[in-house]
Amino acid sequence: MLKRFPNPQAILQVYAVIAVMISGWTITAFLWKLSTWLLTLNLGEILVVFSYAMFANLVESMIVLAVLLLICAVLPAHILRDVFAVRGTLLAVGWIGMLIILLSANRQIGMANPSALFIGPLAFMVLTAFLLVISKSNPVQSAILWTSDRLVIFLFVLMPLYIALSGYVIFRIVV
Amino acid sequence: MSKISRRDFLKVYATLMASATFSRASKFLSSVQPANSNKPNILIFVFDAMSARHLSLYGYARRTTPNLQKFADRASVYHRHYSVGNFTTTGTASMLTGLNPWTHRAITYRGMIDHTLTDRNLFHLMGDEYTRLAFTQNLWADILLSQFGKDLDYHLPCDTYSNSRFSLFEPDDIPGDRTLAYYAFQDFLNLRTIEPHPFPGSLSIGTLELAKALTASEDNPSIDYPRGLPTVYEFSYENAVVFAELGRLIQSSLQSPPFLGYFHLWSPHGPYNAQRDFVGIFQDHLEVPSKPPHSLSGSNYPEARLRDFRREYDEYIANVDAEFGQLMNGLEDAGVLQNSYVIVTSDHGELFERGELSHASALMYAPVTHIPLLISAPRQQTRSDFHSSTSNLDLLPTLLQIADKEIPDWIEGKLLPGFGGIEDNSRGIFPLVAKDNAAFRPIEHATFTLIKGPYELFFFTGYPGHPDGFELYNLEEDPDELQDLFRKDITAASQMKDELLEAVHAANRNYQTK
Repeated sequence: MLKRFPNPQAILQVYAVIAVMISGWTITAFLWKLSTWLLTLNLGEILVVFSYAMFANLVESMIVLAVLLLICAVLPAHILRDVFAVRGTLLAVGWIGMLIILLSANRQIGMANPSALFIGPLAFMVLTAFLLVISKSNPVQSAILWTSDRLVIFLFVLMPLYIALSGYVIFRIVV
Repeated sequence: MSKISRRDFLKVYATLMASATFSRASKFLSSVQPANSNKPNILIFVFDAMSARHLSLYGYARRTTPNLQKFADRASVYHRHYSVGNFTTTGTASMLTGLNPWTHRAITYRGMIDHTLTDRNLFHLMGDEYTRLAFTQNLWADILLSQFGKDLDYHLPCDTYSNSRFSLFEPDDIPGDRTLAYYAFQDFLNLRTIEPHPFPGSLSIGTLELAKALTASEDNPSIDYPRGLPTVYEFSYENAVVFAELGRLIQSSLQSPPFLGYFHLWSPHGPYNAQRDFVGIFQDHLEVPSKPPHSLSGSNYPEARLRDFRREYDEYIANVDAEFGQLMNGLEDAGVLQNSYVIVTSDHGELFERGELSHASALMYAPVTHIPLLISAPRQQTRSDFHSSTSNLDLLPTLLQIADKEIPDWIEGKLLPGFGGIEDNSRGIFPLVAKDNAAFRPIEHATFTLIKGPYELFFFTGYPGHPDGFELYNLEEDPDELQDLFRKDITAASQMKDELLEAVHAANRNYQTK
């Protein structure tokens, strides 16, 4: 069964992309709201809110990775498993990028015209599909691999943060 | 060691769940053992956003509250009772702590009281002699109840009697960390569709919420509720169900006196979704004085639209009044109120004038601060009316008096007339809205109010693009607040202004030196 999954280095690179994108959004939102919270919450409470956010990020990022690995296990190896670092990264960027664009559009134009919300995400999906098609070309592959490899460094910060703060959240809920 | 089969796992899981359930149930049952006490039960009903100015009980032209009028026949009725806040957080915090807003500091949206003051609340002061139960459908009031959580024997989730919930996560989902779970999920991770530019902290939760909002039926209509079900932001409910279930809960709880029940119901807060029988009952031409939009009005609704909202609100009050009447009839028929005080009040009122709809704006005119207060004592047979100004800070010391408890010095309210207090027309009451001011800083961006004798003075300060200013009204001669007397009645204006500014400076000075 394990043979159906990609090698650990490729998984790590894809997970780094997922975690950085998901946490990047959350941390941006956190900083955006921080000025308000500083007026109404104390630092301990703000830390708790951040802990919940990191816990949610851990769960979200694991779900995205699990879905990609599931697809990997189901599809023939040459479609995704053998090029997981490249195509897994593109799929993750496409998926999470669409959510970012959708929610950003909602921030800008609201829900008064729902169809307008989906223009950006659809355009991004087309772009992702195009990149998937041309992902066999060496320059594209190199660029994607270089990027995902560089993002692994963030896992040295994010993973301890995820684990410590998730542990803190579980402790608060249980105790 | 043998392997654990799926069946074994399920057995263990079921045993653990049953143990946990039994443990919680036995804890509650043990807390409701009959106590050896003659102390009276206390039932507090808070109807959110119920303005005294819209109740026929207080002389409103539309017959909105026949059942409250019947209830008032055997109660103490306070005719000039004011909330010191114009939205839930401030109004409720002051009522439950007996403190002015500038002291407890729950002045911002979804705010909390100063952490050093969390022991200063009704439930703590009543002590564990009472079985203390609290239920609110208002999520902002629930934040405050969560702050008082260790003083509650039972704290029901907000959506206990709801039909459906629209939110993926609610604070009640994490009972072990209720207050901060609310902040984390509702204020940060969730998409708050009611905000103009929502920025959910979680991509996936935000997207799911957006998908839900885009596919949800807008009005949530039902046969019994033509305008849609009564709705709190996160869930919908039916008043008939809520009141019926509360009746059952109260009946069973009163078997274990002394009992303190706090029931803070969302209705008649907007949306004004009255039950079918009450829609269209006020097809009259109620004369409402014209009041031009105020420069601090946030919404600038045309008067015709405000008249429509007013009618829907009045219908909704009539609906709530009918449900309350049924609840009281049921409790009286069951004979469980013989040793019970029943209190009816609100956290703030509602405004349909000067371009403003609803509450929580910069405007503090009487319809949004003037709230009902009725207290029915055990076996009370006659009605008592009190016409001096009282404040919702006064409820806490009065309840302590009723329960024969010591009244601490720090309480800023006074005993209500009829319960040891006197009718004091020289007393000042200080409603305040400072929702955009930093909670833990001097209050410099706010509307301060002083209500004293027949007068009401407003001090608008710190609003961008709006110069600081005062307005003065005589509520006895001009209850609709049409004639600004600030530059006409110089003597009253000067005295009121001095007293209000002194209070403002004292409040800020006290906080800064704390």
